[in-house]
Amino acid sequence: MSSNRPRVGVLGMIKGFSFSWLPSLLIILALLALWEGYVRIFDVQKWLLPSPVVIAATLVESAALLSRHAWVTLVEVLVGFGLALASGVALASMIAFSRTLERAIYPFVIASQTIPIIAVAPLLLIWIGYGLAPKVIVVALIAFFPIVVNMVDGLKSADPDMVSLMRTLGANRRDIFMKVQFPSSLPFLFSGTKIAMTFSVIGAVIGEWVGSSAGLGYLMIRSKPQFLTERVFAAIVVLSAMGILLFLFVGLVERLVIPWWHTERRKRALENSG
Amino acid sequence: MNAEAAESSIQPAIQVQGVSKSFMQSGTPLAVLKGVDFYASDGELVSVIGPSGCGKSTLLNIIAGLDQPSEGSISLNGRVEERRLGEVGYMQQRDLLMPWRSVLDNAIIGLELQGVSKSEAHARARALLEEFGLTGFENEYPHALSGGMRQRAAFLRTVLADQEVFLLDEPFGALDALTRSQIQEWLLGMWRRVQKTIVLVTHDVDEAIFLSDRVYVMSSRPGRMKLVQVIDLARPRHAEMVTQPRFVELKAQLLASVRSEVTDV
Repeated sequence: MSSNRPRVGVLGMIKGFSFSWLPSLLIILALLALWEGYVRIFDVQKWLLPSPVVIAATLVESAALLSRHAWVTLVEVLVGFGLALASGVALASMIAFSRTLERAIYPFVIASQTIPIIAVAPLLLIWIGYGLAPKVIVVALIAFFPIVVNMVDGLKSADPDMVSLMRTLGANRRDIFMKVQFPSSLPFLFSGTKIAMTFSVIGAVIGEWVGSSAGLGYLMIRSKPQFLTERVFAAIVVLSAMGILLFLFVGLVERLVIPWWHTERRKRALENSG
Repeated sequence: MNAEAAESSIQPAIQVQGVSKSFMQSGTPLAVLKGVDFYASDGELVSVIGPSGCGKSTLLNIIAGLDQPSEGSISLNGRVEERRLGEVGYMQQRDLLMPWRSVLDNAIIGLELQGVSKSEAHARARALLEEFGLTGFENEYPHALSGGMRQRAAFLRTVLADQEVFLLDEPFGALDALTRSQIQEWLLGMWRRVQKTIVLVTHDVDEAIFLSDRVYVMSSRPGRMKLVQVIDLARPRHAEMVTQPRFVELKAQLLASVRSEVTDV
């Protein structure tokens, strides 16, 4: 009994992956087939509703254009998300560290989410102008909330007995924060981060709609009045692909940073079912 | 040896004097401990048994410094200590291993807090792995370990922190009977080697007799020490001793004392 850790080979992982993704893949294919059939049978105009085949062709033909604009949006998403992550973790740490700071800061964190971003975005345009900065701010404003709320819950979820143990070992407040509270909060932080990552993509598009000269949101706004509906759809496909990939990337980072969380959760699931 | 050292060597490692504690419960004070007196000499293994809810855990929390008594004092090596956090090792019933740390990193947490370098701490922990039956598991996360191994890892953490007194709050409570009796014998071996003062809280009379030099019986709430019994069984102790006449006699006495408390409630 050198180790009772479950070992899954590469082959097993691929098998598990394809098996778990097969149902959703089948649903997508069925929906696309229905869509294609509908457009062909009723001869729907391309500017009204382009068929999946037309959209796919646009994706290939306009690959250079789409990737140029996608890059702009991606940079906005990543910079804004990075800002949200840094400020979110800092705010959550302050809130969890002191009751006074919690009372002082938390109402503003919540209030920030009641302000419609769509109303603030044009103001940012007036104050800061076009370019990267206003989009990054919109992204950060949308993305920081799930990070802060989840991380505060995580920091407070630390096992009180574990905190007591640390105190009897001579730990000070900072030790307890760094060695118990912070690690305890990581699974929560990653849950918030996954939500924040998908919100970030939406934030970037909103920012671009309000005023920009590049990015997938800008491309959509420009293509619509030209009745290039297939290009709008192509931009949407690229956007959701970006969102899904970023989401999966966060999941990958999570597995690398808190490997113990997944194995522990799997073990608990096994115990509950057994 | 100078006079001062000689003086301190005859002081009990831990002395609890007249400790009372009450908590406010919906506006009225609830007395949990009332005038608790007890001591443990240097290198002694003392057990405290009593009915559930008699305030055993409150007493340990106070000794460890997590809580302060409403009245009374706690002395360590003959000196009254107001702030005991960091001075007394406290092992609770739950192993409290951190799921994000490997067994080895869990074991060295006390040394880490004392500022010992990581490599030095790891070396000290590795040297004890075999005695604690953890060889080959040092890099595993705690959830990969059995209950008995987790408890031994928690012991390793306590031993490495190297505080003068160890408080053990029902450390074997969650283990099955077989693992329990094995780990009891193992604990005695380890205790003889490290020569620490141990205060063990348990509700198991057999366990208390088998392990201890002296056994205190606590009354029901508000808790105080109502009886102290010297366990005059030879050491080293063996599992077969539990059927010897003297063991049975001691058990009958202690059980009678504990039972009278339970029926009083």
